[in-house]
Amino acid sequence: MWYQILILVPVVAAALDIFGLLSTALGRILVLAVLVVGVLMALQRPTFKPSTKLIRSALISCLAALVTFLLSTRLGLGAVVASALVGLVGAQVLKGRDQLIMYMGSFVGMSSALRFPTMAPLLAAGLLGGILFELTDECWVGVGGRLGTIAAAAVVVVLSVIGGI
Amino acid sequence: MGTVALNFLIALVWGAAGFWLRQNTKLSVVEVSALLALTAGLVLPPLFTEGALFALTCTAVSYAAMCSGERCCSYKDMLTISGVCSLVIYFGQSVLTGIGGRLGTSAAISVLLCLLVRNVLNLDKAQKAAKS
Repeated sequence: MWYQILILVPVVAAALDIFGLLSTALGRILVLAVLVVGVLMALQRPTFKPSTKLIRSALISCLAALVTFLLSTRLGLGAVVASALVGLVGAQVLKGRDQLIMYMGSFVGMSSALRFPTMAPLLAAGLLGGILFELTDECWVGVGGRLGTIAAAAVVVVLSVIGGI
Repeated sequence: MGTVALNFLIALVWGAAGFWLRQNTKLSVVEVSALLALTAGLVLPPLFTEGALFALTCTAVSYAAMCSGERCCSYKDMLTISGVCSLVIYFGQSVLTGIGGRLGTSAAISVLLCLLVRNVLNLDKAQKAAKS
C-alpha cells in the first residue's frame, strides 16, 4: 500500500512549488524521502520480482526521452509535437506495455532545456522513469495521466538530486 | 476571462474527440492520445494568440482521454474531466514549469478529482435511496 506514495512524488513537488519550497533544501529532501520510502516499500511487495523487464523498460524509456528531447530542443519541434511523434512511432513499432513505456519516456523528454542543460541527467531521468513504471504497475490503473505522473516523478527526483529544480 | 472560456471550450472539443476515437476506432490508447496531441500542437498555435496554452491544455486532455472504460464511461464523464483539466492547466501554469510530465500530472489530478466527486455523489444518492 505504502509503495503507492511513489506516484505522489510530483503531487508533493507541485504542492511544495506552490508554496515556493521546492527549490529549498527542505523541499528537495522531502521529495527524495518520499521516493526512498516508496521504493523500499515497492521492493518489499510480494508481487515484485526483479527481472530483465526492469532493464528493458528503463532502456525504452531512456531512448524515448532522448529522442523526444532532441526533436523538441535541437530540431525546434516543441515538446508537444515531439512527444506525440515519438508516441505515434512507438505505437507502430512496439506492442502492448512497451508502447506505454515509450510514451511515458517521451513525457520525460518534454522537459525544458533550461532544466536539463546537459544530457546525462535527462538520460538518468529516462532510466528512472522506466524503473518507476515497473514499480508502480498497480497504482492508478486506468487513470488518464498516470504515465505523465510517473514521468514527472522521475524528472523531479533527478532534478532534486542534481539541484536543478 | 475570454482566454479561460476559450480554453475551456477547446478542451471540451478535444475531450469529446478523444472519447469518440476511443469508442469508434481500433486505435490504441497511445495512438489516440498522440494523434490528439499532435493535432493540437500543429493546429492551435498558429490559429490563436494563446494557441500555445490551448495546445498544452488539449495535450493534457488527450492524456486524460487515456482513462479506462471503467473510470470514464460516458461523454458526460469525459467532458467533465476535460473542463476540470482546462482549469487545472490554466491556473497551474506557473507550477512545475519545464518539468516533463507536468501535463500528465495535471490530467491525472483532474481525473482523480472527477472520480472523487462522482463517487461522493453516488454514495449520497445510494444513502438517500436507502433511507427512502
